[in-house]
Amino acid sequence: MTLPLLALRDISKSFGMTQALSDMSLDLFAGEVHAIVGENGAGKSTMIKIMTGVHRPTSGRMELDGAALGLSGTQDARLAGIAAIYQEPMVFPDLDVAENIFIASTTLGLVQNRGALRARAQALIDRIGMTLDVDRIAAGLTLAEQQAVEIARALSQDVRVLIMDEPTASLSAHEAAQLRGVARTLAGQGVAVVYISHRLEEIFEIADRVTVIRDGQHISTRLVGEVTPDSLIADMVGRAVGNYFTKAPSQTRPEVLLSVEDLGCEDIFSGVTFDLHRGEVLCMAGLIGARRTDVALTLFGIRPATAGRLRYKGAPVRFTRPRDAIAAGIAYVSEDRRKLGLAMPMPIAANVTLATLAGILSPAGLLRRRQEAGIAEAYRKRLNIRTPSVAIAVGMLSGGNQQKVMLAKWLALAPDLLIFDEPTRGIDVGAKAEVHDLIRAFVAEGGAALVISSDLPEVLAMGDRILVMREGRQMGILPHEGATQESVMRLATGATTLAGAA
Amino acid sequence: MTILKPLLGWEGFLLAVLIAIIAANAALSPQFLTLSNQINLFQLSIEKIIVALVMTFVIINAEIDLSVASMMGLSACAFGWFFQQGVDPVAAIGLCLLIGVAGGAFNGWFIARVGLPSLVVTLATLIGFRGLARVLVEDRGVSGFPQWFGDLGQKGLIGPVPFALIAFAVLFVALFVLLQRTGFGRKTYVIGTNRDVADYAGIDTGRHKMIIFMMSGLVSAFAGLLFAARVGAVRGDVAQGFELDVITMVLLGGVSIFGGAGSLMGTLLAILIVLNLRNGMALVNITGHIQTGVVGLLLIGSVLVPRINLSALRRRPQKEAT
Repeated sequence: MTLPLLALRDISKSFGMTQALSDMSLDLFAGEVHAIVGENGAGKSTMIKIMTGVHRPTSGRMELDGAALGLSGTQDARLAGIAAIYQEPMVFPDLDVAENIFIASTTLGLVQNRGALRARAQALIDRIGMTLDVDRIAAGLTLAEQQAVEIARALSQDVRVLIMDEPTASLSAHEAAQLRGVARTLAGQGVAVVYISHRLEEIFEIADRVTVIRDGQHISTRLVGEVTPDSLIADMVGRAVGNYFTKAPSQTRPEVLLSVEDLGCEDIFSGVTFDLHRGEVLCMAGLIGARRTDVALTLFGIRPATAGRLRYKGAPVRFTRPRDAIAAGIAYVSEDRRKLGLAMPMPIAANVTLATLAGILSPAGLLRRRQEAGIAEAYRKRLNIRTPSVAIAVGMLSGGNQQKVMLAKWLALAPDLLIFDEPTRGIDVGAKAEVHDLIRAFVAEGGAALVISSDLPEVLAMGDRILVMREGRQMGILPHEGATQESVMRLATGATTLAGAA
Repeated sequence: MTILKPLLGWEGFLLAVLIAIIAANAALSPQFLTLSNQINLFQLSIEKIIVALVMTFVIINAEIDLSVASMMGLSACAFGWFFQQGVDPVAAIGLCLLIGVAGGAFNGWFIARVGLPSLVVTLATLIGFRGLARVLVEDRGVSGFPQWFGDLGQKGLIGPVPFALIAFAVLFVALFVLLQRTGFGRKTYVIGTNRDVADYAGIDTGRHKMIIFMMSGLVSAFAGLLFAARVGAVRGDVAQGFELDVITMVLLGGVSIFGGAGSLMGTLLAILIVLNLRNGMALVNITGHIQTGVVGLLLIGSVLVPRINLSALRRRPQKEAT
């Protein structure tokens, strides 16, 4: 561990007036898992883009094995053995695992030797310690398996520095553990793994060292043994964040807003039964495949129920389209911002008013743009959306700020029931706390919130009650008092396997 | 701003090209800037440019309507057929417009409600509407329309300005307001950008697409009638192949073939560029086929240039965002 494998020396990067990175230095050693943490907009993405050759630094230099490294494109980075995998893996759904792994390989001839290809693919999958059939078509793979394919693809190109950008953000606890195992395995084989995550508990589990960056600057690099979650958070936000993991007192009122009885939809899920009160936060926990999102989609009218009864505000209802649910005052904040949540190339203001367009029309049907800008501006302040203007495209914002724009869109509707699907996935600690505060403020005013989350600390911190699902079945509802990560996981996994794995 | 900037950039570029073409034309040919030539320049393509306005909506909505020219033909031929059957011409005009709305609804229903791709549906109706048109008048052609109908297409209504040109101007203003200033226009962009996002926000995207295809059918039928009035005769092949000229003008105007981006101002500038370019070339005796080739090159350029241009422009908004 004398000479770093990859070193960043005083790297700065500016975009016009904005300094995204200033004098960033970092040593990465072969065989280490190096965690990098920081709030959204801290400069993590810019740093990755410089390391992978997407951006060129404004000043500073990089060294590989002590020799100067100049990257003029992503191809250069790949040749140097630097690869990155992201939250959303890139696989070709119609090809099988082996073909996906070697998709970019230039060593393959025109005529592929199936047998050799399979054998090499299998060797790579074995090397990362996964069990995966290389003949499977990628379309059916779980996110974790898709990520394994991406990692294997990087390995096939002799990766030496593997950057994992929020790889577990969309994974269930079990899958995330699997992927962390892969990261450790690779480090054991001498790869330098850069691990970026907002889940602090992961960092303590797998990282050797952790670097905190804030506002484009290097704040600290320490051995994991030398830091605590509190010290990390303090470094990240530059201030102490209070009670993130502490549950606020329940504000549940007696009035039942939504009553769900034996709800089912085709053979996707069945037997979902709960009452949701005004002032209450009901969290839905479960592993991937528990069908929690499907329940939300049914409540929102995307996929109408085929069994059971719904009562809303005391009257029986049946929603067959989202606009029925919206008209009734139900909002669904999707987990998939890109596909279902936001019109990315359109301005922030247009996205904020998307669900309430009728409210900003003049009697003649003309858009009142000044009013629209005013509404967007008000939410920018209220939700602390960090942007120079509400007229820029929402796609330009960081994940946390996009999440807030999506929230603003639904809050503008003044709904009674907010369904949040993974409200804080992939956003930083500071923004997470802000979203939690917003949910609490929302229910304090008499709304009710249904929060789907795979983040157990979040479930325990937010839920007045916790509904646990497993493979389309409701496994039980736990009151907040006495619920632990273990008790939730036991229900989510069917009590036998993995108890307490979270 | 981010949406506007590249567009302003593209529209500014189109404007510069337009000015250059007009300047070159004026320098090359003394007749170019005369009022009669300017009106003539619009008059020869008036049906296409009217349809291009509504095609802008269709493409921003991330759809395509290949059946517009066949609908123009069907409407013109239906008018001829009604005329032959002794139907009062005013009533015939109304019936033709109804045919346009019905044809658009037919397209819209399969696209918006059944969920078939518009490329396929309107390719089918491109063939179907044309077939109907040919059945109605066969190959003989119909002419001898009333004097007032022909005057509508050929004579000046206000001074030397003919009815069709006034209709184009009025339609442009109305559709401009509709697209750029109303909730309907906003929805057109949102649905074209991402239909699922619009659905999840409670927008009735099916109804919206339905309306847009009905508009397309109506305006195409109207344009077909203008053609009948201008030429004074109809045949089964009226307006055949016009759809490609129409789509060319819209894409040249900077409307994204993937939907969600573009503007009517861009379409207008592209229309003016194509018309002036063709007119200028005609004035210096360049044949129509070469003119067509030049317009083709222009289209390739229009797809190419923003890519070069935009990657430079894209950096600017990023600066603001980071």
